[in-house]
Amino acid sequence: MSRLAIDWTRCDGHGLCARLLPEAISLDDWGFPIVGEIGDLDRAVVGTAVASCPRLALRVEK
Amino acid sequence: MTMLGEHPVIDAMPALFTVADPRLLATRTPDVPPRDREWLVEAAQRVRLLGRGGAAFPVATKLAAVGKGARVVVNGSEGEPASWKDRVLMRQHPDLVVAGAALVGRALRSPQIVIAVNDATSAAALRAAVRRCGDERIEVRHVEHRFVGGEISALINGLNRRTPVPDGVRVLPHERGLGGRPTYASNVETFAHLALLAALGPERYATTGSAGEPGTSLVTLHGTERGAAVLEVPHGIDLSRLVGEHRGPILIGGYHGAWTARTDLVVERPALRAAGIGWGAGVVAVLPERTCPVGEIARVAQWLADQSARQCGPCTFGLPTIAADLQRIVAGGHADRGELSRRIGQVTGRGACHHPTGATGFIASGLTAFDADVRAHLAGRPCGRTTHGVLPLGGGR
Ligand code: SF4
Ligand code: SF4
Repeated sequence: MSRLAIDWTRCDGHGLCARLLPEAISLDDWGFPIVGEIGDLDRAVVGTAVASCPRLALRVEK
Repeated sequence: MTMLGEHPVIDAMPALFTVADPRLLATRTPDVPPRDREWLVEAAQRVRLLGRGGAAFPVATKLAAVGKGARVVVNGSEGEPASWKDRVLMRQHPDLVVAGAALVGRALRSPQIVIAVNDATSAAALRAAVRRCGDERIEVRHVEHRFVGGEISALINGLNRRTPVPDGVRVLPHERGLGGRPTYASNVETFAHLALLAALGPERYATTGSAGEPGTSLVTLHGTERGAAVLEVPHGIDLSRLVGEHRGPILIGGYHGAWTARTDLVVERPALRAAGIGWGAGVVAVLPERTCPVGEIARVAQWLADQSARQCGPCTFGLPTIAADLQRIVAGGHADRGELSRRIGQVTGRGACHHPTGATGFIASGLTAFDADVRAHLAGRPCGRTTHGVLPLGGGR
């Protein structure tokens, strides 16, 4: 099962990813993304979120 | 990232004790014959030797993962603030440590062997031992930074003259270590055990300890009537023997470890792991009656929060919030325990290194183990005891 992963040394918590992919990403008390399984989400939408991260902090892991 | 700042130099070593026959702390350093890599892998496998830095990774697997020509890093930076065992070993028995480093370096035909330490006393003892040993590849390097949990990627980055912080995406030293080359990296005590193993052979090595984990371990003990102490103990002994008459929760594994109320545990990594407990770098602590347990936990929590050098959001912002909640509880002020648990959950597992997870494990288990005290504080009836700081926060090196 693929899941989203974050490079915490890069993520600055602006939360853009959570707006683009609310089905799979929520934000914690401090505005940092909480990610999990991608499930059967549209890969193109996931790919857009990954590519849109201004800090290149988001990736898909096997 | 977990980095310790400057501390005043109070350099008193804790007392040393051995339970049963000493091995690492024996007065005489044994002759360590050369052994090749295959011999070491096989012997380490037979005695189920586990790394002594904290992760307890099988030494045989790690050694087998690097080929000939790999670099060697001996980690003596002892990041766990409550731990003393590595410095005791390096200062009292530097020849055994150096013999272990030379043994592994020779077995791997390493072009470079670095022993990384964070205190001048250990560095001097090791340098003298390196001169006696005569292996010119061994370099003792004084590193400026220490990391809770001995985060190895941070140490390697520091040795490579980069910012000594953990990498964002994990790369293990056996893939890319010193100078970007494959590296066998382990804790100083691991190297001392490899030296003993080469000297004794697996059969004699296994004449002490348990079947699940032959041999001995060094333990740093806090909070008993002995004061701070370092002990060498054979695996398999009852944990309760270490803490003597004390009744009450025991901290196992240091500030990335956990508090437990169990009294039936033995000192043996595989058995503890089966019980869901990590031995870490071998720090065991109990709290004497006179000190406020909630205050002790809050104090360490604040310290753990201060260690984050602001690389990762949840660790940077979450740990200080949690520490502040604990401070309020100590003061008998209002705090929402459900909220606190939720925040702890939001920090756990969310960082580039193990620090946030280790820290929240310490805090959450402490709140459970001292539940009655926590409830009394929350009900506005704090115990009135002072927080004596039985759990040390770094201090001198
Ligand atoms: S978009 Fe990227 S930087 Fe922004 S919160 Fe998401 S992962 Fe972090
Ligand atoms: S998780 Fe915390 S301690 Fe670890 S690298 Fe990130 S900020 Fe530093």
